[in-house]
Amino acid sequence: MTRAGSLQTEAVKRRLLVGLPTLVLLVLFAAPTLIMVLATFQFPDDFGGLAPAWYSDSDGVHLDLTLENYERFAGEAIYLKIFWRSLVYATLTTLFCAALAYPLAMFITRAPSRIRDLLVLLVILPFWSNFLIRVYAWMSILGPRSLFTEGLNGLLGWFGLGPVTLLFTPFAVIVGLVYVHLPFMVLPLYANLCRHDPAWLDAARDLGASPWKTFVGVTLPMSVPGLVAGSLLVFIPALGAFAVPDILGGAQGAMIGNLISDQFLSARDWPFGSTIAVALTLFVVFIAWLMTAVARRLPGGAAHAR
Amino acid sequence: MKHFLTLLALSVLSAVASAEDVLHIYNWSDYLPEETIATFEEQCGCRIVYDTFSSNEELMAKLAAGARGYDILVPTDYAVSAMAGRDMLLELDHARLPNMKNLKPEFLDRPFDPGNRFSVPYAVGVTLLGFNADKMRQHGIPTDTWAALFDPKHLAKIKGRVTVLDDQRELMGAALIYLGYSPNDTDPAHWGEARDVILKAKPYWAAFNASNYNVLLAAGDIWLVQGYSMDVYQAAADAEEAGAGVKIGYAIPKEGAYMAVDNLVIPKTAPEPELALRFIDFVLDGRQSAVLSNELGIGNPNMAATEFIDASVLEDPALFPQGDVLSRLSNIDELDARQRRAMNRLWTEIKVQ
Repeated sequence: MTRAGSLQTEAVKRRLLVGLPTLVLLVLFAAPTLIMVLATFQFPDDFGGLAPAWYSDSDGVHLDLTLENYERFAGEAIYLKIFWRSLVYATLTTLFCAALAYPLAMFITRAPSRIRDLLVLLVILPFWSNFLIRVYAWMSILGPRSLFTEGLNGLLGWFGLGPVTLLFTPFAVIVGLVYVHLPFMVLPLYANLCRHDPAWLDAARDLGASPWKTFVGVTLPMSVPGLVAGSLLVFIPALGAFAVPDILGGAQGAMIGNLISDQFLSARDWPFGSTIAVALTLFVVFIAWLMTAVARRLPGGAAHAR
Repeated sequence: MKHFLTLLALSVLSAVASAEDVLHIYNWSDYLPEETIATFEEQCGCRIVYDTFSSNEELMAKLAAGARGYDILVPTDYAVSAMAGRDMLLELDHARLPNMKNLKPEFLDRPFDPGNRFSVPYAVGVTLLGFNADKMRQHGIPTDTWAALFDPKHLAKIKGRVTVLDDQRELMGAALIYLGYSPNDTDPAHWGEARDVILKAKPYWAAFNASNYNVLLAAGDIWLVQGYSMDVYQAAADAEEAGAGVKIGYAIPKEGAYMAVDNLVIPKTAPEPELALRFIDFVLDGRQSAVLSNELGIGNPNMAATEFIDASVLEDPALFPQGDVLSRLSNIDELDARQRRAMNRLWTEIKVQ
């Protein structure tokens, strides 16, 4: 085979390698998104689904599209309110996940190498049982007659504080969201932290920095890319969550995901459901852009966030 | 390797066997007794594949999204008219269903399907109040009125121990009945009143729950539910079996309630419409139909089943409502797209406030 020929097969291979995932993305992501965007301009059909986007009569073909769905979404404070609540829940979830995951990831990084892989395995172990079963388990844990709730209320009673309800409150939603999303914060943080060169820490110490100063001045800035990656992996799905608030939130915890699933399942209003979903997508893209932009400007972020 | 080959051979064999006759049923959970499945499988030499949905909206959403391959569906009254209106259902050949003569006349020829062109009534349920009998007595809560669910005076005593159905038609309907209107009232002003009643009661409710309220009720975590008769019946049986001293009662509120008639229909896309017809006629047999009531506590539109139904079930006024009570029950009527949108607007307000 000539040199040029082998170069050509290389090029073909490369195109195949890139082309296949691109095709998958086009067919399974771009096309459905386009269909969804089109649906936001359509009318709902009388029996669910979508009314046709055009109709033809003796005068020819007419488009039957509307901006009504966007007007409805933007025109009522109630939809913004539920967006705001989802934003607060997702932000709190991300913060709690980060606070819990950071020490855990550091602990795993510093653990003896022979048990490190085992510890990482333990982090992803919950994925072995079904997501819904794990959330329903929290329903038992937080229920009014559970050992946990009764124990907590007994303790509060000692201090003269009234019994608290845990299940079917915003608290339960946040607990569920943090629990479900924690591994998505731990793993990217761990992947980042275990790449830090121990020589950097030694250098900081040799130059007289206290452990706290070493952490704030060296480890934390270097770990920004891991934190950003983890935060995106937690924040985005938490913002659109609907099963967790549905099961644990009861009467008080509805989020934007519940509103969307309501449009498709109860109201049979696909166009409005699509409109909220498109708004959510745009919002998520904006947040992702914002977070990466902020991360780039942070010290230590610049070199790694690229 | 040898094991693997055996497994492979077995799975190929079973695939060949099942390639014969398979009846795909899409139904509510716990809505077809094991016994009935086994008997029919034996009789027809076929296999039944049973798939479940949890609301009519879910059923319609799945079908609208293109779900195919089902031979039998079990939609509730208003969903039948919605599906028939979309031209999704096969017209039933009544000559092939001799057992239709077993059905009580009051369940035939209903407004949602005049002349039963597409549907055959299968099961009857009522949306009622299920409650923890001791707790209700202890707090002096009346259990025969929707006031228990909506009046803050009563609710204040059982705050956080109440669930309502996560279903806009059911909850709005109950509030409309409580206000003295028809549950199928479509006057926007009356809907607004119903929303206000719900919003005043909501702070006292623990959850909108249509999936496992029967479990919570049986466990004693929840004391009062708006629920379906068969689910509450199940909760009562479970609580008794558990033997933890929880006694579950249930009653149809005196103001009236929704009655749901669930129907057997065959979608136009059914791969086995012949087998589906045979199945429908089979379950319309009195003896088969009775199993449904005896095993699952489901109300029955079948006259021929009466003699085979246990007296305790048959005489239960909440499962087999009679006379006066029956006259105060109504079906859920289908709303048009504009009305659904308006109701969902109220529902969102209810959920978010």
